[in-house]
Amino acid sequence: MNHEHRPDPDALLAEMQRDEARVKHGRLFIFLGMCPGVGKTYAMLQAARQRMKEGTDVLAGIIETHGRHETADLLEGLRVLPRKKLEHRGYVLEEFDIDAVLQQRPELVLVDELAHTNVPGSRHAKRYQDVLELLEAGIDVCTTLNVQHIESQVDIVRQISGVVISETVPDSILDIAHEIQLIDLSVEKLLERMADGKVYLGERAEHAVSNFFKEGNLTALRELALRFTAEHVDRDLEDIRRLKRVSSPWKTNARLMVGVGPSPYAESLIRWTRRAATRLSCPWLVVWVEGSRVLTPVEQDRLTRSLGLARKLGGEIVSVTGENISEALLQVARERNVSQIVVGKPEKAGRWSQSLADTLIIGSGDIDVCVVRPLAAADKARSRVPLQEPLPDSIIGEYSWAMVAIFAIASVCWGLVALTGYMFVALVFLLAIVVAALRFSRGPVLAMATLSAICWNYFFIPPIFTFHISKPEDWIMFGMFFIVALSMGSLTSRLRMREVAERRRLRQTDALLRVTQSAALAAEPEKGLAEALRTINELLKANTALIVREQDRSLPKTAHRASTFHPSPKEWGVVAWSYENKQCAGRYTDTLPESAATWFPLQTATATMGVLGVQFEDSARLDFVTRQMIEAFALQIALVLEKEHFMQAVSHAEMLSQSEKLHRTLLDSVSHELKTPIAVITAALEGMDGKQASPYLAEITTATQRLQRVVDGLLQMTRLESDVLKPSPDWCDVRDVITAAKHAVGAPLAAHDVVLHLADDFPLLKLDHALLTQAVANILHNAAIYTPAGSSIEISATLRDGTLRLVIRDHGPGLPIGAERRVFEKFYRVQGSPAGGTGLGLAIARGFVQAQGGDIIARNHPEGGAEFVIELHQTATFKALTP
Amino acid sequence: MNVLIIDDEIQIRRLLRMALESKGCTVRDADKGQTGLQDAIFHKPDVILLDLGLPDMDGVEVLKRLREWSSVPVLILSVRDQEAVKLAAFEAGADDYVTKPFSTAELMARLAAIQRRQGAHDAASLQFGPLVLDPVHHEAALDERPLKLTPTEYALLAQLVRHAGKVVTLKQLLRAVWGPQAEEQSHYLRVYANHLRKKLEGSALEIKNEPGIGYRLEEK
Repeated sequence: MNHEHRPDPDALLAEMQRDEARVKHGRLFIFLGMCPGVGKTYAMLQAARQRMKEGTDVLAGIIETHGRHETADLLEGLRVLPRKKLEHRGYVLEEFDIDAVLQQRPELVLVDELAHTNVPGSRHAKRYQDVLELLEAGIDVCTTLNVQHIESQVDIVRQISGVVISETVPDSILDIAHEIQLIDLSVEKLLERMADGKVYLGERAEHAVSNFFKEGNLTALRELALRFTAEHVDRDLEDIRRLKRVSSPWKTNARLMVGVGPSPYAESLIRWTRRAATRLSCPWLVVWVEGSRVLTPVEQDRLTRSLGLARKLGGEIVSVTGENISEALLQVARERNVSQIVVGKPEKAGRWSQSLADTLIIGSGDIDVCVVRPLAAADKARSRVPLQEPLPDSIIGEYSWAMVAIFAIASVCWGLVALTGYMFVALVFLLAIVVAALRFSRGPVLAMATLSAICWNYFFIPPIFTFHISKPEDWIMFGMFFIVALSMGSLTSRLRMREVAERRRLRQTDALLRVTQSAALAAEPEKGLAEALRTINELLKANTALIVREQDRSLPKTAHRASTFHPSPKEWGVVAWSYENKQCAGRYTDTLPESAATWFPLQTATATMGVLGVQFEDSARLDFVTRQMIEAFALQIALVLEKEHFMQAVSHAEMLSQSEKLHRTLLDSVSHELKTPIAVITAALEGMDGKQASPYLAEITTATQRLQRVVDGLLQMTRLESDVLKPSPDWCDVRDVITAAKHAVGAPLAAHDVVLHLADDFPLLKLDHALLTQAVANILHNAAIYTPAGSSIEISATLRDGTLRLVIRDHGPGLPIGAERRVFEKFYRVQGSPAGGTGLGLAIARGFVQAQGGDIIARNHPEGGAEFVIELHQTATFKALTP
Repeated sequence: MNVLIIDDEIQIRRLLRMALESKGCTVRDADKGQTGLQDAIFHKPDVILLDLGLPDMDGVEVLKRLREWSSVPVLILSVRDQEAVKLAAFEAGADDYVTKPFSTAELMARLAAIQRRQGAHDAASLQFGPLVLDPVHHEAALDERPLKLTPTEYALLAQLVRHAGKVVTLKQLLRAVWGPQAEEQSHYLRVYANHLRKKLEGSALEIKNEPGIGYRLEEK
C-alpha cells in the first residue's frame, strides 16, 4: 500500500548526512580519462571558466599544460597559483603549494593530475592527500585522473598492457567525488592526435610508450574507463532509487572476506575483493592469521604493505592468531557473518597435503568460497628490498654446528660400535637431533636428521662403507629411523617456534598491561606517564615523546616532561598536522615521511588528547604488528589523559559552583540589608507626603533616590565581577528590548524624542532579554541626562553576517576627545557631569553586553552627538513569515 | 479588603499596614512563612503580600504550599530583582511581583488591579475591556467589531484574557497553546504575540512584554 512507496528512512538519513558532509566539506569533481592526451585538462579548464563566469572564485592550483598552446590559452584570465619551490638533494623542484591555497581559500581550486607523487619534502607523499585536505577545509576541487591510476584497476591494466603503474590513488577518493565526468575520445582520434604530436608522452623511453599506445591496449583502457564510470553512475542511480523507492530496493546482505598472508599475491587478492565488494556494494574484511612462525623481514615488509593497501582501499582489517589458517579464517567468517570468502588459487595441486583453498571449501558449509587467480605483486617497482634475502649468519652457524655434531657423534660411536652394536648409534643420533631441535631452527635440524640417517647407513649398518643394506629388517629399521628423526626434529622445532611466538605475544600483552597499569593506577599521573613511556621505550628500543594538549585544546610549546626526546622545531609541524588531522604522520607513513619520528594521535572516541611520537633507534621499517601495538599504547595513554581531564573538569566545576553559591548568598544578604532600609525610607516618605509640607522632605527624597541608584549600580557591578552572571539566551524581538529599556529609564526620557529605525521583517534573535534591556536602558539613561531636553535619540538595529549591530545615537554635545574608551571605566565621570551619577551605568552596560559575548564601543558621530554601538554575534536567527 | 502581609521586617510591615489601613483595608501580618500560612488558612485573606527572604522558609516555598489548596491572589514584594527569581515566582503561581524599594502608589495600583481582576474572573466570561471572546465558536470581537484570528492566535489571546492584567510566563503560554513538548520553542510565541499586537493596534489594549519572563495583557 502506501508505505511501499515511502522512502527508506535509513537511506534518507544517509543521504542527508552525505548532504551535510558536502555542505561542510568541499566538493570533488573528477575528470576521468582512459589515458593521457584525451583532453582532461582542457575540459577541466573549460568547466572552470564557466564557473568563473557564474561568479565562482576560481584558483588554478596547478595545471600541467605540457606545452599545448590550446590548453595554455584557456589559462588566460584565470588566477594561477605560483608553484612552491623545494630543494631536494641540490635540485630545486617545483610542487603544488597547498598552504597557499588553504590561506587564500578560493571557492574552487584546480589541481591537475590527481595521481601525481609529490616531491620529497612535501607535506604529503601523494597529491590526492593534498586534495583530501583541501576538501576537508571546505574548498571545492576539480582534478584530472586516468583510469589506470585507480588502485583497484591496477592489476587489470597490468594484464592489458604489461605496464606496472606505481602512481595510484585509492578508490575511496572516487567514492567521495561529487561528480565524475568521463572525457572520452575514440581510439582513432587519439592515435591521430598522437601522430600530430598533440599528446604528451612524458619522459618515458620511446619504445615503452609505443608499446602502451597500441590500438588494442587503448581500446581495452577505453572500455575500462567507460565501465568504471558506468558502475559509478549505476551506484548513484541505485541510491536515488532507494531514496525514492522507485522499485523495491535490492538489499544485499553480502559481506566479503579475504585471507591474506605475507605472500606476494596478497595485494592482488585485496584489489580483487575490493572490486567485487564495490560491485555488490557491501562491506569487506581483510583477515590476517598470525601463526607461530616468525616472519622474515621481507615477509614483514610485504605484509605491512598489503595491509596498508587494504586500509587505503577501505577494507576492515582483522588480525587473529591461530596455527591452522583455514580454521581461523572460517571462525572469523562465521563470527562476522561473511557470505563469501576469497582465496587465492594454489599454483600447483598439492599431492600430499590439501591446499588452503581445498580445506576452506570442505569446511565452509553455507559460506561461498571464491577461488581467484592472483597476480604476483610487482615488487621491483615498489620496493627497494631485494626479494632474495641473504641467509643470516646465525643460520649458517647452526648448519655448521649440526654438521660438526653429526661427525663428532659418528667418530665417537665408531669406537664404541663394537661394544654396543649399531642400534645404539641410531639412538645417540636421535638424541642429538632432539637436543639440536631445542636450540636450532627448522632447516638445520632437518638437514641434521637427513645427514645422520645417511651417516648411520654408510658407517654403521652392515655392510659398512656402502649405502647398500643387506638385511630386510635393517631396511625397515633405516626407514623407521629416517621417519622418526625427521618427524622428531620437525615436531620439536615447531614446538620451540610456537613457544617463541607465545613468549613474544606474552611480552606484548605484558607491556600493554604495564603501560595501562602504570599510567592509570599511579597516584601521580605525571609519574605514571613517565613509567608508561619508559615501558614503551624498553619494548620498542625507541625514544618516545608525549605532547599533551592544553586546556584550551591547543598544542603546548614543549613536549611532556616524561618524553625521552624532544621534537625539533621542524618536527613540530608534523606534530601539529597529526594532531589536527587525527592521523598518523611522520616517518614510515605517507604524510611528511622525511621527519625523524613517527607521530600517533592520542585519539579516544570523543577527543584527541595529544600526540605520541616514537623515534626508533635502528629499525628501517615499521611493521604492522609494531604499529598496531603503538596504536594500542596510544589509545591507553589517551584514555588515561582523558580520564585525568574529566576529573579535573569535574573538580573545577564543583569549585566553581561552590564559589558561585557563596557569592550568591552573600550578594542576596547584602542586597537585602542595603535595600530594606531604603525601602522603608521611601515608603515612609511617601506616607508623609502631603501631610507635612516641609522643604527638608524634598531633600531627603532626592538623596534617597540617589542612594538607591548607587546601591543598584554597585550590586549589579558586584554581580558582574563575581562571575555569577550567566546569560540565558532565548528568542526575543529587538523591538521588545527597546520598548522595555525605554520603560525602565522612565521619567528622564520624557523630554526626549526616541526614534527607532528597524526593518519590518527584522528576525527574532537569541539573546538574553533582560541583560540586553538593562544595557540599552543604561545607555539611554545616559543619553537622556547628558543631552539637552527636546533633542532626539535615534536607535537603529541591523543584522549583517550574523552580527547584530545596535546603534544608539544622541544629538547632544558628544563625548570629550579621548574619553571614548574611558567612559566604560568604573566610576569614570565626564567633567562637568550633572551631580547624582555614579559613573557605573556604562561600565555595567558593557559588562552585560560582554557577558553575552558581544562588545560595545562609544564614539562621536561625524555630524555631532555621541554614538554607542553594541555588537552581538548571533548563532541563529528566526524570520517569521508575515501573516 | 482583607490583606495578609508576610514579611520579616517589622518596619516594612508597619509601613504597609499604615498605608493599607488608610485605604480602608483590614490588615493582618506574619513575620514567618509558617505563621503566615496558618493565618492564611484561618482568616482567608483576599490578597497576600509575600516577601521572598523569610527566616524559616523561602517565599517561593510558601507560595507553592499555599497554591496546593488556595487560589488567593499573591503579590510578591522582594529585594531580589534577578529575572530568574521573578520567573520562578511566577511559575509557582504569583500574581504580581514588585521589587523593593517600591513606590507605595504603584503598589496600591497593582493591588487594585488584582482586586478588579478577581471580580471580573468571577463572572466567568472571557471579556477584558473592549475585547470579548466567544469560547464556543472561537471568535473574538474588539470594540464590537469582529476580530479575525487564526486558531493559534485565538488560543493565545484566550490565555492572555483569562489572566488579563497578570504576567503569564512564556512557559505557561507555550504549554497551554502548543502543548508541553513546545516549552522551549519560544520563537513561535514571539511571532504570534507580534501578530496579535498588530491586530490589537489602535485599541485600548496592549500586550506588554516582561523581559525574560512573559507577557501581560493590559488596558492602556
